[in-house]
Amino acid sequence: GKNEYDLLVIGGGSGGLACAKEAAQFGRKVAVVDYVEPSPQGTTWGLGGTCVNVGCIPKKLMHQAALLGSALKDAQHYGWNISQPVHHTWSVMAQGVQNYVKSLNWGHRVQLQEKKVKYFNIKGSFSDPHTVRGLTKAGKETVVTADNIVIATGGRPKYPMDVAGALEYGITSDDLFWLKESPGKTIPLLMSDVSLECAGFLTGIGLDTTVMMRSVPLRGFDQAKKTISFTTQQQMASLVTEHMESYGTKFLKRCFPTKVEKLKSNRLQVTWKNADLDTEETDSFDTVMWAVGRAPNTKTLNLETVGVKTNSETGKIIVDASEATSVPHIYAVGDITEGRPELTPTAIAAGKLLAQRLFGQSSELMDYDNVPTTVFTPLEYGCVGLSEEAAVQRHGSDNIEVYHAYYKPLEFTVAERDATQCYMKMVCLREREQRILGLHFIGPNAGEVIQGFALGIKCGATYPQMMKTVGIHPTCAEEVTKLHITKRSGLDATVTGC
Amino acid sequence: MAQRLALQRLLSVPARGSLASHGRAFGTSAGRRSTFNVQDGSDFQDRVVNSPKPVVVDFHAQWCGPCKILGPRLEKLVSKLEGKVLMAKVDIDDHTDLAIEYEVSAVPTVLAMKNGDVVDKFVGIKDEDQLEAFLKKLIGA
Repeated sequence: GKNEYDLLVIGGGSGGLACAKEAAQFGRKVAVVDYVEPSPQGTTWGLGGTCVNVGCIPKKLMHQAALLGSALKDAQHYGWNISQPVHHTWSVMAQGVQNYVKSLNWGHRVQLQEKKVKYFNIKGSFSDPHTVRGLTKAGKETVVTADNIVIATGGRPKYPMDVAGALEYGITSDDLFWLKESPGKTIPLLMSDVSLECAGFLTGIGLDTTVMMRSVPLRGFDQAKKTISFTTQQQMASLVTEHMESYGTKFLKRCFPTKVEKLKSNRLQVTWKNADLDTEETDSFDTVMWAVGRAPNTKTLNLETVGVKTNSETGKIIVDASEATSVPHIYAVGDITEGRPELTPTAIAAGKLLAQRLFGQSSELMDYDNVPTTVFTPLEYGCVGLSEEAAVQRHGSDNIEVYHAYYKPLEFTVAERDATQCYMKMVCLREREQRILGLHFIGPNAGEVIQGFALGIKCGATYPQMMKTVGIHPTCAEEVTKLHITKRSGLDATVTGC
Repeated sequence: MAQRLALQRLLSVPARGSLASHGRAFGTSAGRRSTFNVQDGSDFQDRVVNSPKPVVVDFHAQWCGPCKILGPRLEKLVSKLEGKVLMAKVDIDDHTDLAIEYEVSAVPTVLAMKNGDVVDKFVGIKDEDQLEAFLKKLIGA
């Protein structure tokens, strides 16, 4: 028979909602199914996906809470009479953040209603290539049929399978942002963007925090991340973690956990192997948080029944440049897709473009090149384009020039803050017009700084053009327009302001 | 507290020891009778849609600042009317489908309902005079 909907989107996150709302604009009959499987610790949340509920949004707000703590310390130097030490109350921050997230859940619900997108809060799974069924919370079975289906179910944090007690006693980022009470002395394991960002703000609000890492800075933990991520940036990673160490975060290097046990005091005892000293060590914590990567949400979809192919290693759905899966009318966008960045803006853009191609006579494909990103550690790292390593691999070290500088933000001076790790580098082709291949910035407001330069890189900006761009004074960003010391020269890259 | 004093003023009962405690019980139960939290869809059907008396429905949310001001303000004025109007409170996070069904988008949204129909509505915060006029219209009409 005829299918009930033109489009069914499975997953109400960044990619799914963007796709559904765009399709509805074309007057199509669209439905969205969304469901949040409670975490092993029982945490659950509303409509909006990872970004809204357990990702970007709460992360950035808690990062801000930590930055404000630093600002309070700096404030004394600027004349403010603030009695030290300043204390932080987790529950006040958590309530503010959680309330804001709930307002976003509601906002998304209203938007779907206003755009006439039908919403079902069910855990959908395929029963045939055009049919998805699931149970509502009340236990009623709902069946949805559609001409086109987009899978956008995202991912969830992984638990290590080789550490006893990991599942029973550990939490993940899914739980951290919804805690009503302070996590106390916490150990985020292991080294990843997530663990560093979390460790960063936990330290910033005054909590005893230790990050454990298997090896010295970063080996790629996520092979699927094809865009140049934090993990391929040896130099940048060292600078960021060095800053965190001076800031108070503890690092256990070349260690890996073996078990987690609960003590009589209800605290948790973590045992780990120290590879350098070849010893076994333990310590007790209030909270053990796993950040060992994310797994795609495909297990309960029943993909095998309909023939949607996934990558055997990562489990993610294989798609082509038009986000099509191995089944003609089934597509996928966002974190669930193989080889794509795990980012909200790319999921949203891909979702919108997909809807435009399906229903709006467009043929524009998503451009995954030169996607800017930022890691919101206490000293932020923002980047766009190629890493130094990737540029060398692609063009050869003789054909690229790396300009770099260690700079000091003006605001750090009066506050007597250490700027040792404030650094930037620009990777350019050496010949012809000297096109800029990548830009990397460590410093305050890195995301704000990099965003504008991303446009330049998209337009094929060159080194001479950058040098002709006048800087805004006094800012950190202006130092980008003044980069002139090359790594090749071996000269001291410290630059001063006025 | 405000409800008890308001009720005592209406009844001209002095706020003395024993009378005060008597007044408190009376004030609270009258307040409790005229304002209630909606439990679920069928509770809304029973106590709001099928209510013989007109009902103001206050759609609010935990995360909504203005709701925390409007709620008590409206509650106070409703209790002054001694049961002529009832007030139903709906937390939109707990009862999302119900809120969507009644086309709530921003909060606070207050509906005036009579015989199961929405006869009046406002969105956002209002002062006491505006609320009194709103309630008067609901009873009077």
